[in-house]
Amino acid sequence: MRRKVLLRCSRERGGPLLAELVKETGLLPHLLRADLTARGSELLISLEEEEVETLRTSSFLKEKGVELREIKRTLQLDRESCTDCGACISLCPTGALRLGEDYSLQLEEERCVFCGLCVPACPVRALKMGEF
Amino acid sequence: MKTVAEINEKIRRGEAVVVTAEEMVEIVKEKGAAAAAREVDVVTTGTFGAMCSSGAFLNFGHADPPIKLGGGEIYLNDVPAYAGLAAVDTYIGSTSISRTRGMEYGGGHVIEDLVRGKEVELRGRGYGTDCYPRKEIETTITIHDLNQAILYCPRTAYQRYNAATNSRDETLYTYMGTLLPEYGNVTFSGAGVLGPLGRDPGYRTIGVGTRIFLGGAQGYIAWEGTQHYPGKGLGTIAVVGDLKRMDARYLRGCTIHRYGTSLYVGLGIPIPILDEEVARTAGTDETQLRTNLLDYGVPRRERPVVREVTYAELRSGRIVVGKKEVPVSPLSSFRMAREIAWTLKRWIEKGEFLLSEPVERLPADRVFRPMKQVAPVPLVREVMTRQVVTVGPECSIAEAARILAEKGFDHLPVVDEHRRLVGIITSWDIATSVGTGKTRVSEIMTRKVVTAREDEPVDSVARSLELHSISGVPVLNERGEVTGVLTSDDLSKLVGRRR
Ligand code: SF4
Ligand code: SF4
Repeated sequence: MRRKVLLRCSRERGGPLLAELVKETGLLPHLLRADLTARGSELLISLEEEEVETLRTSSFLKEKGVELREIKRTLQLDRESCTDCGACISLCPTGALRLGEDYSLQLEEERCVFCGLCVPACPVRALKMGEF
Repeated sequence: MKTVAEINEKIRRGEAVVVTAEEMVEIVKEKGAAAAAREVDVVTTGTFGAMCSSGAFLNFGHADPPIKLGGGEIYLNDVPAYAGLAAVDTYIGSTSISRTRGMEYGGGHVIEDLVRGKEVELRGRGYGTDCYPRKEIETTITIHDLNQAILYCPRTAYQRYNAATNSRDETLYTYMGTLLPEYGNVTFSGAGVLGPLGRDPGYRTIGVGTRIFLGGAQGYIAWEGTQHYPGKGLGTIAVVGDLKRMDARYLRGCTIHRYGTSLYVGLGIPIPILDEEVARTAGTDETQLRTNLLDYGVPRRERPVVREVTYAELRSGRIVVGKKEVPVSPLSSFRMAREIAWTLKRWIEKGEFLLSEPVERLPADRVFRPMKQVAPVPLVREVMTRQVVTVGPECSIAEAARILAEKGFDHLPVVDEHRRLVGIITSWDIATSVGTGKTRVSEIMTRKVVTAREDEPVDSVARSLELHSISGVPVLNERGEVTGVLTSDDLSKLVGRRR
């Protein structure tokens, strides 16, 4: 399973963080979300499990003053309980939730950024945010 | 021309041709309504959506010594049930909410738990009479302990329903689900092509006494539904059935986020294809099923229509609102609607389900009237304070501070040269700006302002003040110009007047 990792660095630094990461570590992460907050910039990326280790132990993080946090969250869909009503779909900012060909709910975990919007919107509580 | 009796004869012989509404659409498209009418005997439909006007009548039997709960209080798993019937009868409605768990658990959940055979705690109080001396009861029951458990829903199966969106700059939590700000999403309910009443909009074959699929068992149409409004294509039905025979797969308690609890009810109606006309309506496709997309950002009874939409567009998952394409959520499950139509089809094919002729037609001329209100709710423009002091964004902070202090205001709207609102500045903003070196109002003002519209009823503004814990809001006209302020003071004066 691919792991999601949050990279955070202070505002002053700026610069093309992702491009530098690719260049210096040779890793090719998927960019899931990029946020500019008051505290600095945040990138949510996904990597293979062993790549997370490569990044964690690389000198890149220290040199650039980047903080790495592995996201230990999952979004769980209880298939037994889900009625495929679709109430959650239009709230998802990344299109991780949609109805399939047969009108059953499809959750594409890879695209989920754990914003949590869908969880309380599910009328039968079939979606739960889990930690691992 | 066929009769229901002839179709039933075919069902008994195992010869009836039964198709779902989805299949019927294809048949009519391919062969035309006349041929479809000759070929097909029954079209099955289905819908699975939250139906707030639903609940169940329960009879507990008598305790020893007996208690009269009627006129007292009844709680099932802490959810209040109706105590206005005879001694041990009650009605548990889907929207009644738990006194301890709030919206997480309500009457709809109690019904689902009963159907699942779970134990439900019954607590009740009576006032004590000569024949019912007992005053309190506390016990657990299951559906098997009840003498009768009758699902009765006064309004279900809306023929069609509007779709919803939200023009405001804040998220709304409605019975149409969570509506994101600035037309961020669209929600709709109804099973479209599978929706029962829409397949026979003239109610030629559907009426009082029609046998239906209800909650996984056979049930009946009891009456026209409340708010039945055929003239607008908004027909509804009241349905009844034996809860003891039902299946929790088709009856699910639910919580609509920050709105309340309800019950998802699975319901399907068989349409006997008596003639070409019935075949034609039963085969109407979703591009011809229209409804209005309404703006729930306007908290009035008549919400403005944003645009007209077809079910085909809604079903596609994305829809254009204004200039952008936004995601759509159905609120009722199409997959479950399909499953219900297929189940009903199988029942009929196997001869387990016979059609019934309505004993009474549904009224075709009923209208849905609004509530009679003795005192209409005043509009914002009728109670707002019109003398409103504003400043421009270039005004100095010192000047703004002077105005606030002089007039004893808490906040000042900041407007541009056209009197259009660009922000608001409060004494708090000014206090925290001290020593920051900032000098202009525009540098410290809050840009995201809670506002009211002149033509809004004051009740919705009162709710907004409460939600945001603020004491007043600038009032805008339809051009976005500031024309007044509405404060909690204005509102409390009003309460005095209305008493
Ligand atoms: S948590 Fe957010 S991103 Fe993930 S599926 Fe739910 S709405 Fe989409
Ligand atoms: S809102 Fe809940 S029940 Fe409905 S489709 Fe999403 S997960 Fe399933």
